[in-house]
Amino acid sequence: MNQIHHITNVATRQGRVIRRRDFLRQLTAAGLAAGTMSWTDAIAASSEQMRSRGMACILLWMSGGPSQFETFSPKPSHANGGETKAIPTNIPGIQIAENMPHCAKVMDSLAVIRSMTSKEGNHLRATYLLHHGYLPMGGVNFPTLGSNVAHQIGDAANQLPSYVRIGGRLPSSGGGGFLGVDYDPLVLQSATRPPENTTPLTDTKRYERRLRLLNSLQGNFASTGGEQIVADQRKLVEQASDMIMSPRMEAFDVEREPAKLREAYGQSDFAAGCLMARRLVEQGVTFVEVVSNGWDTHFDGFNRGRELTTQVDQPTAMLITDLKQRGMLDKTLVVWMGEFGRTPRVNPRAGRDHYPRAFNAVVAGGGVRGGQVIGATNDAGTEVIERPVAVTDLFRSIYHSLGIDADQENMSRIGRPIKLVDGGEVVRELFT
Amino acid sequence: MSLSRFTILLFLSVAWISNAGATEPSTADVAQQVDQALAADLFDENTKLAPRTNDATFARRVWLDIVGDIPTPEELTSFLLDPAPNKRESLVAKLLADPHYGQNWSRYWRDVILFRALDERAQLVANPLEADLGKWLNENRSWNEIATEFITSHGDVREVGGTAIMMAQDGQTEEIAAEVSRIFLGVQIQCAQCHDHPYDRWKREQFHELAAFFPRVTVRPVRDLTKRSFEVVGQDRFRRAPRGNNVERQPTAEHMMPDLEDPQAPGTQMEAKFFLTSSTVPWGTTDDQRRMQLAAWLTENEWFATAVVNRLWAELLGEGFYPSVDDIGPDREPTAPTAVKLLGEQFQASGYDMKWLIATICQTEAYQRESRPRRELEETPFTANVPQRLRSDQLYNALLSALDSAEQAPNGQQYLRGRRGSPRGKFGEVFGYDPSIAREEAASSIPQVLALMNSGDVNRAVVQNRLNTLGELLATTPDDDELTTELFLRCLCREPTKKEIGTIRKYVKGASNRREAFEDLAWSLVNSAEFQHRN
Repeated sequence: MNQIHHITNVATRQGRVIRRRDFLRQLTAAGLAAGTMSWTDAIAASSEQMRSRGMACILLWMSGGPSQFETFSPKPSHANGGETKAIPTNIPGIQIAENMPHCAKVMDSLAVIRSMTSKEGNHLRATYLLHHGYLPMGGVNFPTLGSNVAHQIGDAANQLPSYVRIGGRLPSSGGGGFLGVDYDPLVLQSATRPPENTTPLTDTKRYERRLRLLNSLQGNFASTGGEQIVADQRKLVEQASDMIMSPRMEAFDVEREPAKLREAYGQSDFAAGCLMARRLVEQGVTFVEVVSNGWDTHFDGFNRGRELTTQVDQPTAMLITDLKQRGMLDKTLVVWMGEFGRTPRVNPRAGRDHYPRAFNAVVAGGGVRGGQVIGATNDAGTEVIERPVAVTDLFRSIYHSLGIDADQENMSRIGRPIKLVDGGEVVRELFT
Repeated sequence: MSLSRFTILLFLSVAWISNAGATEPSTADVAQQVDQALAADLFDENTKLAPRTNDATFARRVWLDIVGDIPTPEELTSFLLDPAPNKRESLVAKLLADPHYGQNWSRYWRDVILFRALDERAQLVANPLEADLGKWLNENRSWNEIATEFITSHGDVREVGGTAIMMAQDGQTEEIAAEVSRIFLGVQIQCAQCHDHPYDRWKREQFHELAAFFPRVTVRPVRDLTKRSFEVVGQDRFRRAPRGNNVERQPTAEHMMPDLEDPQAPGTQMEAKFFLTSSTVPWGTTDDQRRMQLAAWLTENEWFATAVVNRLWAELLGEGFYPSVDDIGPDREPTAPTAVKLLGEQFQASGYDMKWLIATICQTEAYQRESRPRRELEETPFTANVPQRLRSDQLYNALLSALDSAEQAPNGQQYLRGRRGSPRGKFGEVFGYDPSIAREEAASSIPQVLALMNSGDVNRAVVQNRLNTLGELLATTPDDDELTTELFLRCLCREPTKKEIGTIRKYVKGASNRREAFEDLAWSLVNSAEFQHRN
């Protein structure tokens, strides 16, 4: 077995301080260098620690902007709630939309944030914002969340990429940015189609000979201006070859799961994506993003909302259950969100339009206390009236859960230090 | 219309007719002045300039830059052997007269426009865009005429390539305004869409005043049973105020700037006013007149010339005068102000002649220098050219050319499905990138590496068979060194170094047979970083 399974045996307790103490206790005496280690070193070492802890994140991305009213914030007693009813969950007093019966049964693991708020109502800019924690800014190629997480706590020794995005290219969702190619996501079209071109055209021996020949022919270009390019390409060829030669490639094959479990996840592409996400995390992938498309329901929102929730409700709940049963949930943060919410007022075509002012995000695992609702909107669902959560607050909380210091700075290519998150505060309630 | 390279070859005999006037500034003179301006702006006695590149590197560079392909060994050799002192200039002129010039650059602009498309169905306009723009470029229609087409076109998107921006932005008023400004002026005024920009002079009103040139544009499905298409329409008759959802997608007589405090409110009606000159058109002006008027004002503005000059310079030298090709304008500092001003003015004086512009840039010493790694921020720009990753179509062409494979033309059904249906289009899905982003950010990816290494489609040519070029070369070239040289010439457009010859000799000896060894060499060459870049 390889190192990813040598997870340090620290009892998983909630709260950063305890973890820091745990990790300090675990550092070797040599590493501590007789107390000369500064707090910054300790922080840096903390991400080392997290690496070995195998923290991971699965982002379930509802592309197009899911309606909060038809998912986690029903308003059955107000006209704005439309025809969607509320159902009880396994936590007394918490109700969610009738479209989400499976999630209702794992509510004890979920923290529903009903008070997300932003100002971006344009798909591309909002998708960018909810992926980067920043708005697009000329001249700075921000890394996306998954790339930052892969950079901070990814396991470089793993043969699989640290960041995988399932569900095809997603405009504005970003990549490694100024961190470079190492942290770009491996993008898969669909979980039902394993990565393409992963079988060498020749037998392994000849393939390896070819790779050596290729390598020996790169020197000339490297010495005539292409040094960095050749270095990057060598890295990619190496990563790609390691990956396809690795037995871990099996992680991409959801067919290997027992039929019963596959059934429990459900039938949709998204379901296969969730199952693949769990398999990938199990094999040491640090960040997996699973995309569900079609949430931009300007028309016929109630029927389409039912179709969409049918595709994601069961797999989302099953993913939580599965992770829990395998003892992986504490180390795996699951985030469910889209780029914004939808208008409280139902439009004349029975749909809802873009609404960033009050929307939902749901988090589970990764030290998050489940069974709670954070924030609230007024009866009409138009305003956040309690505990507004900004995008930066959510991002800080995600990094916090993963043991990453969000104030760390990366140097962008234009020589400007860029914090992982600029501003915002951890949503403490999530972890207490 | 056709994408087939074979078909395009048939057009080789058709000469393009230049509309370039006799009063055009001389490309050689302007190139020299630009070099002098660069020296004045940037260089001092301590600046180390990269030497002039050798002929073989120049040939491959200029072939890829102008016609988007690599030269054949015959073309390369005849250029290398040409004793004429001005042979580089002649080569540039020859390539600009080749119809592949228009095809190459129309594909570039297709990517500029469609990589920012709001949704996938915009791909329907890809083929007509490529065909129409390719034709205009080959006819050397001036850049202001071409821009005017894109700003004013209407009609079926499967027939009128000029509708591309409107189609890509789904007829949405604000998005169209933002793209027109970004592409043709290099000004990102849409940052002021929601709030006044902290670093720019543009006010939120000014963005919405620009949007006010486009409220009557709409994209709607074509009512036709035989095909699925869309048309760009300018609507001038309005019976009642639009209602319902998607209000932003419905045409309106005048543009309303939304009220940020109350998104449900109707907002403020905006006058169509061009932000760079404050010229306005009256309320109620028809769609045609509005868009024509904007095109006229926009294309005579200095930023219109500067934007395209900066973009082409960046594409050809690996770095623009401004840090970004689509974020320039009065609030940005160019690295070489005199040079960019000079080239912009001369381009305007040339009558916005694109072939003139490319010929001029290719004639500068700056362009013709050897490549060096992309500079660090504190280093002096333009002391060398920069290696550039090939765009998807350039790479696809190079793969076809290296081993003489024919491009499979898409069948009728594939063509109708738009670009994505063809093998080239599928290749583009893996290898394409938005040409407006900084080139160092257009990173290669694992799926790309895997596609080149392992896909049967890509590798068909590097497996010997009796019918393909590799098979023929193996059969007709008994000498190993000669065969090595031939493959290097074909793939990398240069001869192998002594060291490389040595490596291959050793490799051939160690391989189980000669065929396998040279298949492996061909495979390695197309998988090398050198093949995938232009140096």
